[in-house]
Amino acid sequence: MAIFSSDERQMLHDSINAFLRENYAFERWKKLARGPEMEGFGRTEWAKYAELGWLGVALPEWAGGAGGGMTELGIVLAAAGRHMVLEPLLGTIVLGARAIEEAGTQAQRATLLPRIATGGLVLAFCHAEPGGGYARDYVHAIARQEGGEFIVDGEKSFALGAHAADTLIVSARLGSQAGPLGLFLVPRDAGGVRLNVAPALDGRLGATVSFAGTKLARHARLGDDDEDRLATIDRLIDRGAIAACAEACGAMAAVTEATVEYLKTRQQFGQALAKFQVLQHRLVDMSVSGEEARAIVHAALQALDDNAPHAQRAVWAAKVQTARAARFVGGQAIQLHGGMGMTDELAIGHYYKRLTLCETLLGDGEFYLKKLGVAAVACAVA
Amino acid sequence: MFIHAMQHNSELDAFRTEVRAFCTREIPPQVARKQARGQHLEKDEYDAWLKRLGARGWLTGKWPKEHGGLGWPPEQFLAFQEELGRSGAPPLVSFGPTMAGPVIYTFGTPEQKKRYLGDIISNNTWWCQGYSEPGAGSDLAGLKTRAVREGDQYVVNGQKIWTSMAHWADMMFALVRTDPNAKKQEGISFLLIDMKSPGITVRPIIGITLGHHLNEVFFENVRVPVENRIGEANKGWTYAKFLLANERVGNVDVAKLEAYLHQIRSLLEATREGGKALAEDPAFQRRLAEHEVGLATVKALMADQLAAARANGAPSLMGAAALKLRGTELVQAILQTGIDALGRHGMVYQSAALHAGWNGELIGPEESADVIYEHLYRRAATIYGGSSEVQKNISAKGALGL
Repeated sequence: MAIFSSDERQMLHDSINAFLRENYAFERWKKLARGPEMEGFGRTEWAKYAELGWLGVALPEWAGGAGGGMTELGIVLAAAGRHMVLEPLLGTIVLGARAIEEAGTQAQRATLLPRIATGGLVLAFCHAEPGGGYARDYVHAIARQEGGEFIVDGEKSFALGAHAADTLIVSARLGSQAGPLGLFLVPRDAGGVRLNVAPALDGRLGATVSFAGTKLARHARLGDDDEDRLATIDRLIDRGAIAACAEACGAMAAVTEATVEYLKTRQQFGQALAKFQVLQHRLVDMSVSGEEARAIVHAALQALDDNAPHAQRAVWAAKVQTARAARFVGGQAIQLHGGMGMTDELAIGHYYKRLTLCETLLGDGEFYLKKLGVAAVACAVA
Repeated sequence: MFIHAMQHNSELDAFRTEVRAFCTREIPPQVARKQARGQHLEKDEYDAWLKRLGARGWLTGKWPKEHGGLGWPPEQFLAFQEELGRSGAPPLVSFGPTMAGPVIYTFGTPEQKKRYLGDIISNNTWWCQGYSEPGAGSDLAGLKTRAVREGDQYVVNGQKIWTSMAHWADMMFALVRTDPNAKKQEGISFLLIDMKSPGITVRPIIGITLGHHLNEVFFENVRVPVENRIGEANKGWTYAKFLLANERVGNVDVAKLEAYLHQIRSLLEATREGGKALAEDPAFQRRLAEHEVGLATVKALMADQLAAARANGAPSLMGAAALKLRGTELVQAILQTGIDALGRHGMVYQSAALHAGWNGELIGPEESADVIYEHLYRRAATIYGGSSEVQKNISAKGALGL
C-alpha cells in the first residue's frame, strides 16, 4: 500500500474541502436532498467525485485507485461530514469496497473495484436485522445452495443508500441458521427483493430490504468457499464505524465554527452574545470536544492502517468518545442558536441530525462502551 | 423548610379514579387511536377534547374559586396531570389556563375578567404568546413592536417570532413598546390582541421536526382597543414577569413527562439487541431508574412551588428556576433514551407517518416517528420560556443577589 505523506494528505484535505465549499453550499444541499428525482443525492456529484479521485482514494492503484488507507478515507469522510454530503460514500467506498477487497475472489475484485473508482457502482451494506440491534453476529437470513445457485430468504434493517445501490452487499447464513456467515452481491432489482424506502433522521434516504426466494448465481457470493465471514464483517463494521466518526468530526468542526460566528454577530443586552463569559466557555467546551474526537479518531485510523494489535479497541474507544462529543456539540449548537437553531431553514438543525445519525451508525457510544468493558474483563482473565 | 402541608395521597384516590374513568369514557376513539400511534391531532379534534375537560372546569382546576376555578391544592393538580399522562390523553395547552388567565384575573379589569376568563375555562378561545421578536430573545425587554395610542385605540406595528400555535389562536397576549424613550423595561405595555384583527399576518416556520408549530406574526397598523390593555400603560413588564414566573412552573408538564416515560419504556420493550429486549439490559434499566428519580424530583419541586405560589402569591425564584432547569433537562434525557433505542432500527424518521391518512409502511416500532419528533421539538425546551442560561442569570441576580 502506498502510504500518503503528510503533504499529500494536506493536499487531499484542502482540495476536497475547496471543491465542496465551492460546489456544495447549503442551498445546493437542499436541492439535492429534496430534489424531484427522489434519490436524495446527486448523480452528477457522484460522477464528479469519481473524476476527482475521491471514490478510489483507498482502492489499489491497479483498480484505478490512489492506494491510500483508512486515514485517507477518513479525510474524505470528514470533508463529507463538514459539508453534509448526501452521496452514498460510506456504503460504497468504505463498507462496500472493503467487503469486496477482503472477501472477494481475484475475479470479483478485478471486475468490481475499478467500477467503484469510476463511479459506476453504488453499494449498500445490508447486514443488521430486525431484533439484532447493533449486535454484529445476529443474522437469520439464509442462503441455500440449489444446483448452481443460491436462494436467499430473510430481512434486513434500514440501510443507508440501499434505495439507490446497484448492488447490495448482504450477509446470510449458508444452508441453515447454524451455518457459517457468507456475504453476497445482490442486484437491487433481483427477483424477490423488496425495498421499503424511507428517510433517515438526517434526510438521507435508505431502505429496509427483504428477500423472498431471491435467486443468485454462484459467483454472487463474495469468495468461493464456505468459510465463515464473521471476522471479515467485524473488520468491515469497525471500518464503517470509524468512518462515521470521521464524518462526525467534520460536522462538529463546521457547526462549532458556525456557532462562534453567530454569537459574534447576535446582539442581546446591548452586546454580542460572544462577549458573555459563560457562552465563551461553552464555545471552548464545544471546541475541546471536537479536538478530543479528532485526535482519538486520527489515532484509530492510524492503528487500522498499521494493523496494530490494539486497532479494534482503538476504534471502539474512538466511537465512544466521538458519540459523546457529537451529542454535546450538536446539542449546544442548537442551544446557542436559540430559536434559529430549531428551524429547517438553517443548516444548524441539519448538522444536529447528521451528528445524531453518525453517533448511532453501526453502534452507538453506549454499545461500544459495553464491548470495551467485556473486552477489558476478558483481557484481565487471559 | 418542609413547611407547607401536603394533602394526603389517599384523599386524592377518589379524584384519580374519577379522572381515569373520565379519560376512558371521554377521549374520542379517533383521538385515542391517533394518540396511541403518536399521530398529530387536527385542531378540531384537539379542541373537542379540551372542551370536554373544560366543561368540568378541569383545564383551570387550580385557579381560585372566585375566578371560576376549582381551587385545587397543588397535589390535586399534580394528580390530575399524572392521570392524564398515564391515560394517553392529548397534552394540555398552557397559553390560556396557565399564562393568560392568571394575568387577567390578577391584574385585569372586571370587564376583562368577564370577557375572557369564561372562554379560557371552557376552551372557547385559543391563546398564543406574543413575546419573542427577531431582536429580542434572551433579552426580551429589548422588544421593538410599537403601539402608538390614537384616541381609544393602539396602532400596533412590528413582528413577533417563535409564536407557538399562532395559526390556531383566536387571541394573543403581547408585549408592545408604548414609550420608546423610557428605559427599556419601563416603556412596555401588555395587550390582548384579537388574532382576526386586520393587519395581522401569520407565517409558518417549519421546524427541524419538519412540522409546523412555530410562526412569525407580523403587525401592520393593527388597531387594538385601549380597553384590551392589562393594567397600566408602560407597566407591562411587571405583568410579563408575573406571567414568566408562572410559565417557568407551567412549562414543565408532568403529564407529558409521564407519557414520554411510558412511551420510552414500551420502546425499550419493543427494541431488541441480539434478540434480547433493551428493557432487560442493565444499562437501560439504570437509565430508566435515573429518569424515575428525575421525575420524582421534578414532581416534588412542582408541588413545592405550587404550594409556595398559593401561600405567597408567587413561586420562589430559585425554586421556579430549579423546576424549569431540571424539568427541561429531564424531558431531553428521557427522549434521548428513546433516540438511543431507535438507533437500533436505523434512526429512520418517517415524519409523514405523524399525519392520519398516511398509508406507507412503518419501519420499527409504532411510536418511532413520534419519539423522534418530540426529541427534536424538545431541543427547544431549554430555550423557550427563558433559556437555561437566562434562568441562571435571573437566579444569580434575583435570588442570590449577585
